[in-house]
Amino acid sequence: MTKEAVEKRPNYLLIFVLLAAFTFIETLVSYVQQQAIKFPVLLTLSVVKAVLVLLYFMHLKFDARLFSYLFIAGCVLSIPLILVITLVMPVII
Amino acid sequence: MTNNELAKTAPIPQRENTKLAMWLFLGGEVVFFVSLILTFIMTRLTQSDYETQFRSHLSIPVIAINTFILVTSSYFVVRALEAITFNGDQKKLRNNLIVVLTLGLLFLAGQAFEWTTLFREGVNLSSTFGTPFFTITGIHGTHVFVGVLWIIYLLAGHKRLPFTKQNHLAIENFGLYWHFVDIVWIVLFTLIYLI
Repeated sequence: MTKEAVEKRPNYLLIFVLLAAFTFIETLVSYVQQQAIKFPVLLTLSVVKAVLVLLYFMHLKFDARLFSYLFIAGCVLSIPLILVITLVMPVII
Repeated sequence: MTNNELAKTAPIPQRENTKLAMWLFLGGEVVFFVSLILTFIMTRLTQSDYETQFRSHLSIPVIAINTFILVTSSYFVVRALEAITFNGDQKKLRNNLIVVLTLGLLFLAGQAFEWTTLFREGVNLSSTFGTPFFTITGIHGTHVFVGVLWIIYLLAGHKRLPFTKQNHLAIENFGLYWHFVDIVWIVLFTLIYLI
């Protein structure tokens, strides 16, 4: 952990409560029939949860930027993969 | 430029080299899991009978509990790291790691229960949705299992050479791995089970 993370010491309990609450809300929303509501709400909550874990539990908010860049690099490298699979796979199937 | 001067300009301190390696590994894991998730999504989009053939067999409450278990384990990993970083508290570190170990095993038990139920209901490895589903959840489960073994290794090592306020990078690296496995599950939970 960096000095900044040690000094700022995020409220981990609050992050955990938020993650648990979002999981509960997600589970309830999954029973909603309208896809127009369900889809964006579930995706947003999922992204928010992942970002909370990354920023606070994995300390990306406080750690050296280099670590964030490495993780983002993984996401960027996935883009060609996404394009290939989404464009080629339907043709094959 | 002397070694000391070079060290001052480095983006991360030299002692955090293993952490850099861990982040590199996690970056690679992102690509790996994205390809698996995409395969599942594409199978789902190209087949029309997803609801009847597969989704109706999934038990959302059971998996929601399993998700809660994994999220809780992540919190205890942070508590373990906090205990050693701020207070150098060996006992708290060990106790929190034991809780993470228990929660990891509970998650695996939940997954085993889910798989057994699915097999009993006829969803198997050769079915259209079974192949990508068991591949993704199986690989994720293997990651959890590796994490569980890692905790046992840390607990055993901790007995011989206790971690200290200054020397706890091994715990931090384990934490990064465990939280990543948690993030992957957060995404899988939404994409496979909820949507």
